[in-house]
Amino acid sequence: MKKHPMLKYMKETGPQGDRMPMIMCPGCGSGQVLNAILHAVDRLIQEDGARKENFVFITGVGCSARLTSHYLNFDSGWTIHGRTLAIATGALLANPELRIIVITGDGDTGAIGGNHFIHVCRRNLDLTIVCINNGLYGMTGGQVAPTTETGISTTTTPYGNTEESFDLCRLAEAAGAPFVARWTTAHPHQTIRTLTKGIRKKGTAFIEILSQCPVHKKQSPVQMLKALKQGTARVKPGEPPVEGKIPIGEFCNLDKPEWIQSYQKVLDQFSNHRTPVEV
Amino acid sequence: MNRLHINPKYCKGCLICVDVCPKKALKPAEKINAKGYILPEEDDMSRCTGCGLCEVMCPDFAIAIETEDQQER
Repeated sequence: MKKHPMLKYMKETGPQGDRMPMIMCPGCGSGQVLNAILHAVDRLIQEDGARKENFVFITGVGCSARLTSHYLNFDSGWTIHGRTLAIATGALLANPELRIIVITGDGDTGAIGGNHFIHVCRRNLDLTIVCINNGLYGMTGGQVAPTTETGISTTTTPYGNTEESFDLCRLAEAAGAPFVARWTTAHPHQTIRTLTKGIRKKGTAFIEILSQCPVHKKQSPVQMLKALKQGTARVKPGEPPVEGKIPIGEFCNLDKPEWIQSYQKVLDQFSNHRTPVEV
Repeated sequence: MNRLHINPKYCKGCLICVDVCPKKALKPAEKINAKGYILPEEDDMSRCTGCGLCEVMCPDFAIAIETEDQQER
């Protein structure tokens, strides 16, 4: 029997027995995002000759965090809640050759890890941040999150959310990330193309992927995918957004000096004039 | 004709593949399986063009399409 093409990058069995099927609920968008990321990584390995050993996946805590270390046959880290980007920064500074892909959720990036997120964007580190945004805290029981849209009912806002929601893409853009994009799980090929671009990009690439949570929003996955497709409209850089629809697409792709390169310049300045230290 | 492979161990019956197939080559099965899921099955595989959208959209890595070129090898 032919297997799914992306299973070659995954661990199907481990010392404790079978790892698959995945832990996600039926129809969860996280699996689709992992599928898209693996397609993008496969493209980089096939086309650019990128080495498999150089890819590192780092996650925090949440539904999205279960994707990497349990299933992927890459180096991966399952780290602390919200501090995903801090640990990714450490990994990158230890070995700047690495291509680090951070998979986070909206709670991990927008809520508890908001501060780390802003400062990674500001420093422009060479990371790819993939944010799976399902608009609520899925793992803990579907509570309201900073990214829940106004009027949406969750388990803690049964009469509809009264708060304004957080637009993570605009936050990343304002904080200085050079590559910012948003797609949904209903746009797989566009997501793969953008992810490939984002991983190739030297600098922070923030890619938000709107995803469905069929369990807590109590709809079928097919219905939710259709709603994602209808509720979003593609916006090209410089164009005004369509009213009443969530803008999707690649919002910016700027050339900015990457932090490690700028720091290396300072180091090089002094490495030629170093005087031996007398003990 | 392209061949459809569905891994019954991995599939959780979300039926996204049935919906996204542009040629409607898949359909939901009539019977539920041992885990209580309705898995997809082939409706008319002669309509399948091997576009691979079902593979790209599958959240559980359970579906695979074997195209005619791959069968010859």
